[in-house]
Amino acid sequence: MTETTTLLAVFPDLEPAADGIEQLRSLGVADENMNVIAGIPVTEAMLGRPRQWSNVPRLAGGGAVTGFFIGLFLAVGTPNLYPILVGGQPLIPIPPSIVVVFEMTMLGMLIATFLGVFLDSYFPSYSPKEYVPEISDGKIAVLFNCPDKKQKEFVKAMTTLGAESVKPAEVQKL
Amino acid sequence: MAVSAKPLSHPQVEMHHDPRQYLMLDPRPRGEMNEMVMDSMLSISWKFWVAAGILGIIVLVCLFGAWGYMIFEGLGVAGTNRPAYWGIFLVNTVFWIGISHAGTFVSALLRVFKAEFRRPFTRAAELMTTFGLVQAGLSIFMHMGRVWLSYWMFPYPNQRGLWPNFHSPLMWDFLAINTYLLASTMYLFLPLIPDVAMARDRSTGWRKNLYRILSLGFRGTEGEWTHLRHAMNIFAFAILPVMFSVHTIVSWDFAVATRPGWSSTIFGPYFVIGALHSGIAAVAMVLIVIRAIMKNMKYFIRPEHFDALGKLMLIVSMAWAYFFFNDYMVQWYGGDKWTDQLLHFHEAGLLGWMWLGMLILNIAIPWLTLWNKKIRSNPWILFIVGLLINVGMWFERYIIIPISLTVNRMPFTWREYVPGIEVLLTIGTFAFFILLYMMATKLIPIVPVWEVQEGQMAHSLRRFGRETVISVSELE
Repeated sequence: MTETTTLLAVFPDLEPAADGIEQLRSLGVADENMNVIAGIPVTEAMLGRPRQWSNVPRLAGGGAVTGFFIGLFLAVGTPNLYPILVGGQPLIPIPPSIVVVFEMTMLGMLIATFLGVFLDSYFPSYSPKEYVPEISDGKIAVLFNCPDKKQKEFVKAMTTLGAESVKPAEVQKL
Repeated sequence: MAVSAKPLSHPQVEMHHDPRQYLMLDPRPRGEMNEMVMDSMLSISWKFWVAAGILGIIVLVCLFGAWGYMIFEGLGVAGTNRPAYWGIFLVNTVFWIGISHAGTFVSALLRVFKAEFRRPFTRAAELMTTFGLVQAGLSIFMHMGRVWLSYWMFPYPNQRGLWPNFHSPLMWDFLAINTYLLASTMYLFLPLIPDVAMARDRSTGWRKNLYRILSLGFRGTEGEWTHLRHAMNIFAFAILPVMFSVHTIVSWDFAVATRPGWSSTIFGPYFVIGALHSGIAAVAMVLIVIRAIMKNMKYFIRPEHFDALGKLMLIVSMAWAYFFFNDYMVQWYGGDKWTDQLLHFHEAGLLGWMWLGMLILNIAIPWLTLWNKKIRSNPWILFIVGLLINVGMWFERYIIIPISLTVNRMPFTWREYVPGIEVLLTIGTFAFFILLYMMATKLIPIVPVWEVQEGQMAHSLRRFGRETVISVSELE
């Protein structure tokens, strides 16, 4: 089995980073063995990367459905748990129930969206990770695995394409 | 015959103005922008502490001291009476909820419509939403009197198995305000994560620990950005109906009562537009103060932003005037005896000057000033106009609540409302808002640097024939 090393190549801009990713692919690094770390939201299309999957929209939908039923319980269910009929008024008036159901649906959706980011991104996660602070200064880092024996070849390829530094990725406390 | 052609206009060889006057066309390296924001956050002069100390004392005395006194003595120390059961506490509640609308409006609506000028000040506006809602919540608790029983509104049954009545407008308020507070706090936090991670990379000591915890381990991987982008898009769209619902529900507290002056089908949108009127003016005021006081903010907040906000203020002022007149016209035309009495009382009663002042401050002053670009782009004139609009909007809420309660269908109960301890508590909430905001500007990056950089990447200059124009690319 081939031993692999994780390298972190730091590029000054988008263009060289995109070239670097293309070069890595031609050197045999699969997309799932690369990750891009950036200080701004560069899209997959800009770097020619496969589309990222996110569960956030589905979780938001699930939260909305849950919120809808909680709202329904509060507006329709609770008056039936202890019915108090007042002056011929309906026990469950529809317009005020819509207000309650709407608010709870939106609340459910927004809380689920918020928690969805935590779940999908594994937040909070305070363990040491591969990172360099230059990333938040606008640099774009490409993290990739390469065979141990070919490390020099990869470093040279990335440096030629404009990488400011290419070195073994060290986990550090954020 | 010779053919002569005259140019339609003067030849445009270059842009009329230096494009670098626009933030999006005056990019600086990200590291430099980060340093500027960190510097503005970390520079704390003795003047800041003096101001914070004075505000802290005002909060202690006027807010917590006076409130403690009111809790000890009872609501009798307030000016509320029969028939004006609702006084300044609810005026302040409506006012602060109105202020809170601006954050969402500026951040979410302008994000949805991709209005680029929003980028440097979305966070400043979102902070207003959260802190404005805190003041609104405090004002409701003050109004309750027996604040220790506020948990009676929580959605759970009491010892007899009886649940709160969710069909009551006051419970809609409870649900809507809490939904909005939670949603706006989450919406403030999500785009803050990358900036807090930036601050983490540049801090030491207790700040490093604080930002480390708040940034949740964010590095900026593709996955993290994708999830964040999805969430922010969902929030931007979903929080808007919540924003509209909150002030509509607040308006229904009044409109569903069959009282003269209150029972109106147009109160919902009238309240929402009123909230935007005061809120956008407040955003402009806050930005002007931030720009004047905090270091490096002149780079991020520029006359172009005041110009854009000034236009918004003018449009919203026109919309407010339309809704006001619509509401007034129908009530006046209806000819109901008690409504006529109330309208007459508004205009010519003891506080008629307030009604006239409301119209001058909310309509005449914005219309006479904000059509002019020079005025819109002048921060301190815009500050004064914004302040006057907010005074006018506070008058509007005062007219709707205690003044309108004074005149009802039972003339033997008519009685003037004279505020008591409410005056101190009002001063306290304003001081508390300013104090919270001041502290926040020194704890979190007030400018979303990554959003500014993203915007600068999307902007460029293009030549169309002989003219150079600004072009914006869709990066998402």
